Amino acid sequence: MAEVLLEVRGLTAGYGAGPVLQGVDLDFRAGELLALIGANGAGKSTLLGVLSGLLRPSAGSLVFAGRDLTGARPERMVRAGMAHVPQGRRLFASLSVRQNLVLGAYLRRDREVQSDIARVVAYFPTLGDKLQRVAGTLSGGEQQMVAIGRGLMGRPKLLMIDEPSLGLAPKVVETVIEVCQSINRDGVSVLLVEQDVVVALEAADRGYVLENGRIALSGTARELQDDPAVRKAYLGV
Amino acid sequence: MARPAFSTQPSRAGRRLRRAILVAFLVVVAVVLVLPLTLTQQAADANLDPTTLGIDFAMNKSIVRTETTIAMFVALAAAWNLIGGLTGYAAFGNVAFFGLGAYTVGYLTDKLHLSFALALPLAPVVAAAFAGLIGLPLLRLRGHYFAIATLGTGIAVGEVIKNLDVFGGATGLFPPILRHADALFFYLMAANAGLAVLVTWLVLRSRFGYGLIAIRENEEAASVLGVNTTAYKVGAFALAAALTGLAGGIFAQWASFIDQESVFPIQYNVEMILMAIIGGAGTLFGPVAGAIVLEWLILELAGGGASAVYAQIGLGLLLAVTVIFVPRGVVDFFGGSSRLTLGYLRRTLRETSV
Amino acid sequence: MTGVLELESVTKRFGGVAALTDVSFSVGEGEILGLIGPNGAGKTTLLNCISGVYRLDAGKISLQGRRIDGLPPHQVARLGIGRTFQVVKPFASMTVRENAAVGALFGSAQAHMAPKAAFAWADEVLEMVGLAPKARLTVGSLTIPDRKRLEVARALATKPRLLLLDEVMAGLNPVEVDEALEMVRRVHAGGITIVLIEHVMRVVVGVCDRVIVLHMGQFLAEGTPDEVLQDRRVVEAYLGEKYAARRHG
Repeated sequence: MAEVLLEVRGLTAGYGAGPVLQGVDLDFRAGELLALIGANGAGKSTLLGVLSGLLRPSAGSLVFAGRDLTGARPERMVRAGMAHVPQGRRLFASLSVRQNLVLGAYLRRDREVQSDIARVVAYFPTLGDKLQRVAGTLSGGEQQMVAIGRGLMGRPKLLMIDEPSLGLAPKVVETVIEVCQSINRDGVSVLLVEQDVVVALEAADRGYVLENGRIALSGTARELQDDPAVRKAYLGV
Repeated sequence: MARPAFSTQPSRAGRRLRRAILVAFLVVVAVVLVLPLTLTQQAADANLDPTTLGIDFAMNKSIVRTETTIAMFVALAAAWNLIGGLTGYAAFGNVAFFGLGAYTVGYLTDKLHLSFALALPLAPVVAAAFAGLIGLPLLRLRGHYFAIATLGTGIAVGEVIKNLDVFGGATGLFPPILRHADALFFYLMAANAGLAVLVTWLVLRSRFGYGLIAIRENEEAASVLGVNTTAYKVGAFALAAALTGLAGGIFAQWASFIDQESVFPIQYNVEMILMAIIGGAGTLFGPVAGAIVLEWLILELAGGGASAVYAQIGLGLLLAVTVIFVPRGVVDFFGGSSRLTLGYLRRTLRETSV
Repeated sequence: MTGVLELESVTKRFGGVAALTDVSFSVGEGEILGLIGPNGAGKTTLLNCISGVYRLDAGKISLQGRRIDGLPPHQVARLGIGRTFQVVKPFASMTVRENAAVGALFGSAQAHMAPKAAFAWADEVLEMVGLAPKARLTVGSLTIPDRKRLEVARALATKPRLLLLDEVMAGLNPVEVDEALEMVRRVHAGGITIVLIEHVMRVVVGVCDRVIVLHMGQFLAEGTPDEVLQDRRVVEAYLGEKYAARRHG
């Protein structure tokens, strides 16, 4: 079994009016593509918020790559090798695609930023002739690609992507998910938070099901796909 | 910045607190309203025998003047609240309407020798008409563009009037002095302040008010739900201008001398906004409370010299603290919907800092 | 077919870029029409043209025989077209109930109620979309599906004859989608014609009578959901091979 990249224990967090997450445990092995699924309001984005340091947990621990990062600020999480691709892309809409990508490498001081832009373009060839375009004028699918590319520019060990399929045409969802898989094959661990459970479980190695702020179920993607409770609650079959 | 104006029902304790505050408020209002009458009466008596009551006389006159000034700012802040608080358009040039109202009365009484009573009703009309005229182009702008454009307009109007000889040029205008009318001016200003509050109260209960708040919260959504956003914004702007112009008209006669400097003071723009925001923009009584406290402080501390400097610094700090910790205004704590606790401060800090 | 809404050669450009070119179709009384196509195909632009948010560069739009292109949004709403926004635009400081009431206070000529009646109608509408238990909460505490529901409630409160829904099911999981479909069926049963934009094929197949596909601002295909989803051009431009394979598999 591969080494543990991220270990979360008893994580509790929320926004004032009662905790959203109530004692979440999560084990992430290096090199995995993990799917996090659950209904709206179950706490998926809150969990991502804690993992990326945007939200401080009120209890529990978070160990990433052997370091205790419980309650660390976003900038330390990024330095440690985590990248968060937020729901709704959150691009710098008035900046160019290239500027967005460069800002993704904000904490880096090396000279390989240009070659990494080329690497992003290799994943998403459609962005190749759009590097000078203002990010806000791109289509939804292209914006999602830029958002993932910006996450990659920090050379993360773990890429966390929140709802990449949101509002995208089926064909574009397919492209985006395929790229997530090839990023994963190239050695980056990927946490995929998805509403589209069919797509998520098809792509993932393993999955966690979040319900009312707790991990209700976990297993290989195959097991979850065949689990009657999952099928009923999330696939509607 | 602002709370919902039409709010959910408060708890029973909230209702009781609200009733107690209301009673206390009414008592204070009664005292404030009656005081000028007795004081000016004493003043009139004192006039008969100035040797015995000279100091009291000056004292009393200054109390009435303070009350009148405060009433004027209540009207200005409440009027600004209609466009800035309810509609969400941060107008920074409302002093233009104040000045236009003042110059309307000044011109009609000084140059055309109309009586004050006949001249005053035209002050709000002129101010509102001007607001309608500039509102059509300016209210297409949003955010800081609108703020800067209105600020510029406010300055420009004063400069133009100063350079027109019909309006007395740099010398200004001199409405004929009305003697022994201190109480009259106080009651006129207080009535205008009351009118501004009444108008706000009516607006908050009407379709018009819901439309304004919808515009503030999301203009595009408001328009596709059927709100005629242009007409509503211009309407709110003109209404604010009318109340502000009326205050200016009363001021002109009260001061019995006006020029650009006295009726287009740029700091009024800032002060009325501070009053509304510190008290609670978008609420009924927030601007009233803000105006009373702030103007009282300004008048108390404006003794000149060092204290005036401290007053300015104090006001700046007060604004910073309010905007950071109580973005919804002090009034938010009454009526049971929020309580001033550490948790409240933490929450608002988190909400406003992201 | 008698069209409630008729579009004739609708064309819209932004700067030099054509967002819509020569789009014509009609929406029948009582129909649920699906509008699909790749991101950037011009679907939302089309909705903005219909609801008066954008002005056309060429073409005509009429509602029950009356030209509506060139009218401002509030007049289009007055004539009976309600719409939602893809990115929800709630009135954040208001409660759920107040949000819906704004639709009823203004809205179509059939709505435009006095405050008291508007709140009563708002309550009915919230019941219909399943938000009644949350009527007194402020919008901030709502989950995403609830915000989408509120968006529908507010548009419904305007008493429209035609409702334009822009991706109201995006971000919902399949079970939540099924609940939302139930809601759309209820609304439709109340006699409202619906045009909906969706990427969730479960929705398109689930409720649409007819589907129109846009691609790069132009009309690409039209038909029943089954016809359209099997159309080679649609698979190529929009669905992708994997989706097609999954559908057949």
